[in-house]
Parts: sequence; structure tokens; C-alpha cells
Amino acid sequence: MTSSASKRLFKEYKGLSSDPPEGITAGPVTEDDMFLWEALIQGPEGTPFEGGVFPAELKFPKDYPLAPPKMKFLVDVWHPNVYPNGEVCISILHPPGDDPMHYEQASERWSPIQSVEKILISVMSMLAEPNDESPANVDAARMWREKRDEYERIVRGNVKKSLGL
Amino acid sequence: MTEQTLNIPQILVFIVVTALAVRWYLSKPANAGTRPAAANRAAPRISPAQIDQVAQMFPQLDRRTIAWDLSRNGGNVAATTEKVLSGRVLETPPVSFQPPTPRAATPARTATPPVKPAQPDLITRYNLASKLGKPADPAPEEQPKPKAWSQDRNERQSNLQKRREEMILAARRKMEEKERAKASGAPA
Repeated sequence: MTSSASKRLFKEYKGLSSDPPEGITAGPVTEDDMFLWEALIQGPEGTPFEGGVFPAELKFPKDYPLAPPKMKFLVDVWHPNVYPNGEVCISILHPPGDDPMHYEQASERWSPIQSVEKILISVMSMLAEPNDESPANVDAARMWREKRDEYERIVRGNVKKSLGL
Repeated sequence: MTEQTLNIPQILVFIVVTALAVRWYLSKPANAGTRPAAANRAAPRISPAQIDQVAQMFPQLDRRTIAWDLSRNGGNVAATTEKVLSGRVLETPPVSFQPPTPRAATPARTATPPVKPAQPDLITRYNLASKLGKPADPAPEEQPKPKAWSQDRNERQSNLQKRREEMILAARRKMEEKERAKASGAPA
């Protein structure tokens, strides 16, 4: 089980390195442990996240790809779908059975035909378009809805801070 | 029938558990009355300064032992000094005993960081401080791109590292330029 999971992760790593999607760099922290990755995601253009680079940690379960990884940002990300501790909450990271609210369609959720690349692309578009229905950070969600200026100011501030400026 | 045979061990277990629970309950007040309460009550009465005073005179003594003796005699430095000088061995403090720490602010400070851990910025995180301020690599597009996938494991690792660094440094340069443009554009 474990070795088939590592093999699959290694294959995905190879794919992501040979043909990286725009604005995404991802790979294992060290090849000794294929179950812990670090990814960099560029903030999508035309959004307050533009210009930023957001590091995130991906932790894969031993039964990957049956179960999805967990993803956590390693810098402050002020976003309705990111918990204050950095954990990302989007449908592709949830297994099909695990949806108490029934707002997500099965096709959007995790299945073994998804991949790290698809997760990272989904997260990138999540940055651009928050999903207001399932806020992980209620305060950020409210601000995004009611005080968009302030929300964007905080996001831009975090971007600058994360670049050490 | 099977139900009957199952019940006997269950009853036995129940009796044993009940007996233990009762014993624990009865013995609790006696313990609680002496040890932890005494330690808790006594600890605030002695100050780190008093411990320092004794520790300076007798550097061979353990600070915890000193604190324990002070807490038992109500913070009487003279009594503790006397005891050591007269050759008596100070009692070893119980494990539960918490001596006051020299830094009184410790509990407050340890309580705050978990609430809001300051995330290091990317420059610190990836050790890029030394690479800042350098101009971009001359015409990066024209350079042969480092082969993204190598058969060599170490080379792969360093390629990935390089791609990460480039991504961050490029973002930083871009942001700096933007800031500069904004600063020079503002007065106009």
C-alpha cells in the first residue's frame, strides 16, 4: 500500500517537474519522505493576491490516492476558505463521503483520478474566487462580503509582508 | 445460556472497578490535602530573589531544593541558611513541586505565542537574504533552462530548490519595482 502510494507520488512529482503548470512549483521536501510536500503557488493576477507567492505544505495519507492530502499554507492567508491556522478547505480536498452539508457535488470532491496538480490549480482559483458557502474563516468571509476594500487591504498587506517588504 | 456465562465475568469486573473507584475516592482527600495543595500554596510566597540569595551562598545546592526548603519554612532565608550551615541535608522536593522561576513573565509569555504564531516571511524561510538586491540573472529566458527532471536524485532536489528560489526572488523583485513606481508616481 505504502509503496504504491509513494510510486504514484513520485510519478506526480516527475510530471509536475517536467511540465510545471504556470505559477506552481511543487515537490517533496526531501525524497526520503514522499508523503510530505511543499508547494509554492503564485497569487492569481487581477486579484489582491497578485504578486504574492504562497508556500503550502501538503501531507499525504498512506493510502493516497484513495484519500486526499491535507494542505496548509505556511504564511498568513486571509481568505474565506482558509482556516486561521492555514489549513485549506475546498471540495477537492474532501473525500466524497465526507460532506455533512451536501453543498458540494461529488464530481468536485476528491477521487483517485484527481491529482496534486489539480489540487494546486483549484487552490489557485479558490484564491481568486472564494466560495462563500462554506467559510473556514468566518471573519474573513464576512469581511469579503461586506467590506471588500478592507479585505483586499489585508490580503495585499500579507503579500508584502510575506515577501519581506 | 451463553448470556449467563458471559455475565459472571462482567459482574466480577464491575465489582473490581467499583472497589477501585471507592478506594480512589476515599484516598483522594488525604492526598490532595497535603501534597499539591501545600506546594501550590507555598510556591507564591517565596520569591526568586530569596532563592538567589541562598543559591549565591551555596552554589553547590540545587535551586529547586532551595526553593522547596524556603517554601516549607515560609520563605525564611535565615532558617534555610542555618540549616545548611549546621550540616543538615535539605529535603528533596517532590516531583509535583514547581519553584518560582526567575522570570516572572514566563507563564504570560508562553501563553501568547500559540495564539498568533508569527510566520516567517519567505526570504527568511528560504534563506534568501544573501540573494536579495542582486539584479535578475542576465536574460534568464536565453539561458538554457535547467533540466526539470534529472535521473540524479540530488540534482532533482537542487533543481526544485532553484525553481522555488527563483519564483520567490522574481516575485520580490516585481513587488519592489511596483513599490518604486508607486513612490515615484505618487507626487506627480
